[in-house]
Amino acid sequence: MDYQPYDDKTQLDRQIERYPLSFTRNPSAPLIQRPLTLTERTGPVGLERELGAGPLDLSRACVEGPSRPRAVGQLISVFGRVTDEDGSPIPNAIVELWQANSAGRYIHEMDKTDSPLDPNFTGQGRLLTGPEGEFQFYSVKPGAYPVLESGWWWRPPHIHFSIFGVSWMDRYVTQIFFPGEPLNETDLLLNAVHERDARNRLIFEYDSTSMGAVNAISYRRDFVLRGHRQTPALE
Amino acid sequence: MLPSPFCTIGPYFPYDFVDGLEDLTHFNGIAAQGRHISISGRLLEQGGKPTRNSILEIWQPDANGIFRHPLDPCHAQADPGFRGWGRARTDAQGNYGFRTVLPGSYSENGCARCPHINVMILAIGVTRRLVTTLFFADSPESVRDPVLDCVPEASRARLFPRLVSTSGAAAGEYHFDFILRGGEETPFFLD
Ligand SMILES: [Fe+2]
Repeated sequence: MDYQPYDDKTQLDRQIERYPLSFTRNPSAPLIQRPLTLTERTGPVGLERELGAGPLDLSRACVEGPSRPRAVGQLISVFGRVTDEDGSPIPNAIVELWQANSAGRYIHEMDKTDSPLDPNFTGQGRLLTGPEGEFQFYSVKPGAYPVLESGWWWRPPHIHFSIFGVSWMDRYVTQIFFPGEPLNETDLLLNAVHERDARNRLIFEYDSTSMGAVNAISYRRDFVLRGHRQTPALE
Repeated sequence: MLPSPFCTIGPYFPYDFVDGLEDLTHFNGIAAQGRHISISGRLLEQGGKPTRNSILEIWQPDANGIFRHPLDPCHAQADPGFRGWGRARTDAQGNYGFRTVLPGSYSENGCARCPHINVMILAIGVTRRLVTTLFFADSPESVRDPVLDCVPEASRARLFPRLVSTSGAAAGEYHFDFILRGGEETPFFLD
């Protein structure tokens, strides 16, 4: 694979006005260009057994048995594909997911909001992409939540994704937002991507065509991990 | 097709996704070959303030200098007891800690690579991951390495963890503070 540095126009700003930590946690010195050697071109692969990646239904807590009550909230089905920049599928990619429950609460000791937890929802799990890079999981739509220390910033509903591709270079972490949410207009992170097309790559597409046996709203998001298949040498 | 935008990991990355993965000295019930070491220290931001609740990931070859990855021509001989990848989180004081093996050297395009561990840092306020590489050598001044050579000479020494002691209980303990901004800022690579 051939990797180019990320084009800034496709990415979030590193420093964001009204987001103080983005100014104290990013280096002041210019980032150093280096050659890409074996150590960067390799990376963690084949860890699905150890990390426990498999079919995923976040809409129910991880309880076994016949009675698996569903979490409170709008049931959603999320699907998409993981590919490289040439559109080639990335199969067997581990995808880590975490999100707030429908009340906007995470199971995490750092979440100091007073929104209720849901005993039937953990909001975290891992899945593995299929042969065509495809993935699908059920969940409930996350609620919005406040960034308490900001005094004003409400995070719009979003799901966090962390993807293990084929190397250290395409290791990828992001947040995906829901279409049409008013809070999307003021979110500091989403709006730190300036080009509209690039920003839309952080938003699910409502998939109006599918209505399955269960009453889940479908959302689609494809991911393009960095990397081109190496151009063959010209002879 | 253009790559998807990276975004910050935020404050709520599940502890379940981290805890246990800071130890790379065992894999599939097998102990890793080579010298087991610890690397610990703090993650600090501007003003020397601890950067709490952040995630560090590492990627490295095994003690014989082999990557557990199909691109490594020797990967069939990779140590079955070594995962190669690890993850840790910082506590309220910004402390992190890994247990791993001292990475082996290997030859690439006729050059010997200095033993090294790749690191990526994810934190609130960091919209795109920060990547760097730690190097291990007895005398950092004399090291030649194609990646290290790109770092301005004056700051190269900042990429070498300090061996706390060469004898006794602390043998094999390395200390390294990541400084995200200001002062003796850690060199980071363009990503
Ligand atoms: Fe979040």
